[in-house]
Amino acid sequence: MIVLQLFITIIVWHSTSNGLIPKPGNVAAAFGKLLGTKILLDNLLVSLVLTLKAMCYSIIITLFFAYTSVIPFFKSIAQFIVKCRYLTLTGLIFIFTLLTKDGSELKLSLLIFGIVPFFTTSFLAVILNIDKQEYELCKTLGYNNWQTLYEVIIVGKADQVFEILRQNFAISWLMITMVEGLSMSEGGIGSLLIKYNKYNDLTNVIALQLLIFLIGLCFDFLLGTTRHWLFPHSNLKQATS
Amino acid sequence: MTAYIKDKILLQASNIRLAYDNNIILRDINFCIRDIKRPGMQQGQVISLIGRSGIGKTQLFKILSGLQQPTAGEVIIHDNKTVKPGDMGVIFQNYYLFEWRTVFQSLLLAAKKNTQLKGKEEAMINHYANEFQLTDELKKYPQQLSGGQRQRASIIQQLLKGSDFLLLDEPFSGLDVCVLDKVTELLLQVSVSDELKTLIIVSHDISTSVAISDTVLILGNEQGKEGATIKKEIDLVDRDLAWQKNIKKEKAFLETVEEIKACL
Repeated sequence: MIVLQLFITIIVWHSTSNGLIPKPGNVAAAFGKLLGTKILLDNLLVSLVLTLKAMCYSIIITLFFAYTSVIPFFKSIAQFIVKCRYLTLTGLIFIFTLLTKDGSELKLSLLIFGIVPFFTTSFLAVILNIDKQEYELCKTLGYNNWQTLYEVIIVGKADQVFEILRQNFAISWLMITMVEGLSMSEGGIGSLLIKYNKYNDLTNVIALQLLIFLIGLCFDFLLGTTRHWLFPHSNLKQATS
Repeated sequence: MTAYIKDKILLQASNIRLAYDNNIILRDINFCIRDIKRPGMQQGQVISLIGRSGIGKTQLFKILSGLQQPTAGEVIIHDNKTVKPGDMGVIFQNYYLFEWRTVFQSLLLAAKKNTQLKGKEEAMINHYANEFQLTDELKKYPQQLSGGQRQRASIIQQLLKGSDFLLLDEPFSGLDVCVLDKVTELLLQVSVSDELKTLIIVSHDISTSVAISDTVLILGNEQGKEGATIKKEIDLVDRDLAWQKNIKKEKAFLETVEEIKACL
């Protein structure tokens, strides 16, 4: 089915593309050529390292505020972070430039600032939806508040942290091209994309987009598989008696 | 009549009242559970708390387990201790277990909370698993268990925790006839496992719960008064209806069931 749909898409694309929009064959050729270049590898590596670094920091910050959100003082902070989703990065570049040392730090902090509100929103939703019986079971087993927090939220929701990570990787991957466009000194696929766009090289732009899309899918699959491997219960269906 | 004596008080509920704003749910709840002693054997206590749906059984259940604070009154156990969460073993209606833990891991967590089992946690888990026919399920997650298996795992979990009191919320709901017999057999087995073991069954299945109980508490409303209370306490031992197999066929039993129904 998917193969058929893909085939139809390519046919439609091929028949509707004119002089401005490159034909699928040209994009495929550019894609193949792009894969063999060192420039792509270098830029891809820069982007991947930056994304992973930003993800790591974002997870630490998110988990801290999400776990502590059960304490009233931190609850309001977590709620404020959630609202920060509505802040645009573009309007904050100057402030972040003043606060950071170099382009690398600027990109990393912008990316973290962009990701954390989305991570926090998803994780707070998980915490809010925790079944009351999970807490009650802990209480009946004689757990104190810290033991309950550890069992229900930290251990019990670890698989969902992974799921949030998987879902929000798409946001990080989307933001990377934007952030790299703001500071192009160190390269990255974002700056490469802007370069191709600047010279109106649409064939390479689409080929690079295709690559970005495929890498995104690979990470999605990898994180999904790792989640099921680490937390087998996340993949279980209710057994029928 | 079976020889027995009612000894010291194990649980005392005094003047319990529960209200939300001006809406009274429970009022003047007073009852006590005593240690029943039978010569030559270990006999625990089985108390049924019966009432119509929505009357406040679950609220009383939560108060008895310490999970909910009453507006007034208190539940005292072990002579002078006010009940708090963790003092009672609680088996919820849907036999809730940690979905992220295997059965073995869940049981181990409970066993580690029982200081008397220190060093022999795994041996006790295996013992109970064998007794409750759950050995093959120890490595499974709750999602892989049937309703009956989940229930047994929940019971073992609370037994391992070592509380004298076991509160069961609607243990017979949604069970088919074959499983129902097994569950009642299981509860009787638990009730005779220790002299102080006390089962409080909250149910609206009158016949099944009365058949395994020694005392019935009927929760209901009194005319002209807001909020449910214990309308009647029936001593089944006194009526010679306790601890008998096939009691459901006895005329006196059927009359008692009718008496309870009329009281609801």
